[in-house]
Amino acid sequence: MSDRLMLLTYLAGVLLATSLHDLRVLGAGLLLTAALCGRALPRVLRRAVLAILLFNSVVTVSYVALSLWQGTFSPRYVLLVNLRVLLLATMTFLLAERFNPFRAFAFSPSLLFLTSLCYSQVLTLRRLFGEFRHAFRSRSIVRPGLRDLYRHGAATAAFFMRKSVSDAGEIARAMTSRGFFND
Amino acid sequence: MIELERVGYAYGGRTVLDELSFSMAPGEKTVLLGVNGSGKSTLLKILNGLIFPCRGRWRYKGREITARLLKDRDFSRTFRRQVVLLFQSPEAMIFNPTVFDEIAFGPRQLGLEDVDDRVRHWAGRVGVDAFLDRPPFDLSGGEKQKVCLAALLVLEPELLLLDEPTANLDPRSTGWLVDFLQDLPVTTLVTTHNLSLGAELGERTLVLSEEHRLIYDGRIDDLLGDREKLIEANLVHRHRHRHDGTEHRHYHVHQWK
Amino acid sequence: MHIPDGFISPKMYLPLYAVAAGCWAWAIRRLRRTLDERTIPWLAVLAALSFILMMVTIPLPGGSSVHATGICLLAVVFGVWPAFLAISLVLLIQALLFGTGGITSLPLNALAMGLVGGAIAAGVFRTLKGWNETAALAAAAWLSVMVPAFLVALALGLQPLIASAEDGTPLFFPFGVEVTLPALLLPHALLGVGEGLLTVLVYRLVRDLRREGGAA
Repeated sequence: MSDRLMLLTYLAGVLLATSLHDLRVLGAGLLLTAALCGRALPRVLRRAVLAILLFNSVVTVSYVALSLWQGTFSPRYVLLVNLRVLLLATMTFLLAERFNPFRAFAFSPSLLFLTSLCYSQVLTLRRLFGEFRHAFRSRSIVRPGLRDLYRHGAATAAFFMRKSVSDAGEIARAMTSRGFFND
Repeated sequence: MIELERVGYAYGGRTVLDELSFSMAPGEKTVLLGVNGSGKSTLLKILNGLIFPCRGRWRYKGREITARLLKDRDFSRTFRRQVVLLFQSPEAMIFNPTVFDEIAFGPRQLGLEDVDDRVRHWAGRVGVDAFLDRPPFDLSGGEKQKVCLAALLVLEPELLLLDEPTANLDPRSTGWLVDFLQDLPVTTLVTTHNLSLGAELGERTLVLSEEHRLIYDGRIDDLLGDREKLIEANLVHRHRHRHDGTEHRHYHVHQWK
Repeated sequence: MHIPDGFISPKMYLPLYAVAAGCWAWAIRRLRRTLDERTIPWLAVLAALSFILMMVTIPLPGGSSVHATGICLLAVVFGVWPAFLAISLVLLIQALLFGTGGITSLPLNALAMGLVGGAIAAGVFRTLKGWNETAALAAAAWLSVMVPAFLVALALGLQPLIASAEDGTPLFFPFGVEVTLPALLLPHALLGVGEGLLTVLVYRLVRDLRREGGAA
């Protein structure tokens, strides 16, 4: 399936999952999505559940408590909202597994370039950010106090802000030298 | 001092370290050679208690280092003072407003007296005493690294781990670092992918292969004579080049002068 | 705010997408005027920066911590429209590429945080900085957290009103504004203080940073 089609199907699926409120339809949708996962099902399902667990638990528990107290409790709602959210999360993680933005966004070279450049920057920066975290832990002989935590956070943020300015310049120069901008 | 027993580490489904076993005695200066991606940084992070082995285990001074053990504040305090790591990017280590504060950070955390003297002593030893009032991010790469070194050594650690310390240094700074490390009476483990430099950084040499296993543990001189091992570890290369007018190919290393 | 998909009705997110799309088009047109070929790499880098800033943790007294947003810093240092586009892009990448979801809350977050939050931050800073720069920055940062929180609380709280079954049971988010407003505003008031402090500290370190395009 082409990536563009995959993306469109996903978007249509999201629209449907948020427009239909029949439990059976949503349930069927979840089964269908699970089937489409194939071997990746355990991984996709696990990630989906983890992603929604906190928010959904808080909302569900609060809803149950509040509605029981107000006398408006609807078990159907609890099922509906959790099913819908799980379905959407599963669809999203399934998309993330299969989706290749470099082909789906091909209809707009600018968007394509923008997303792929951003994505690769994020991956690089994330690794470096991890080093910052590790280094702070390594150097903290005792639990750091609030002042040190703020100092470190600020120094980290400032570093990445400066780096962005110089990175952007570098990338633009590299692109220019490769003739990217000669329209 | 350190004992690794079949340590393995994997991340994202990929093996990063495989069946590593070796030990280090106090006072040893060891070099860990390996190409990029062989797992050197990961090993150092394990030895610094930042991540923990997926398989096998390792001991520091006889105690097995686990995540739980490091949660114990007293142990953690001792461990983090004794075992320090110089990261490959010095920027990742720096976060204080001045060089003085940066070096003083550790001693202050320990509540030591005479922080001022200690800081000035080590700043002088590495050569950054002229910058004590400046913000560290203003300095050059080599100077930042010196600040980080001072910040680590001011704790008087017992084990100094260095992750590719010469990777971004110019030749003069590299020379300085080599001399400095040799004179330091601290157990050190330095990683590098530069074979020629490896000989200068320690007598004992460990080699990590691209398959993430330890394929050599011994003296550097013997390693330099073992061409097969060097090729296996991707520490030497071969390409066309010229000697005195004739062109040929053979395995070699570009020598540092 | 990370809201999993399924809590906002299409009756809200579809119109919001329309509004957001208009704002994006407007922002792009404005940027094209000031920047040139450097627009795309700059936006990509800024978006990545936004991603990282959102990973920075703000410690709170008591040992817990929350994540920063960085909206005030981005808007004040780099400009409201670039910040808006950068945040929108990061939300898109998070939703589709990192699979953290949120495609239905994207227009809400982009408009509330990226546009309104950024605009308020820049406006408040510009207005108050003559009086006291630090206070101006802290106020700007605090508001850049509070106002979007208010808007999101409003959006969530409206769900039971705009999308309920015939028997009155909710279909999406179940609580009205009387619950969402305090539930969101109170914690964000605290988070805003932390964000303010962080913003002030960072600004001191990056004051000299020249902005790429936009008004200096």
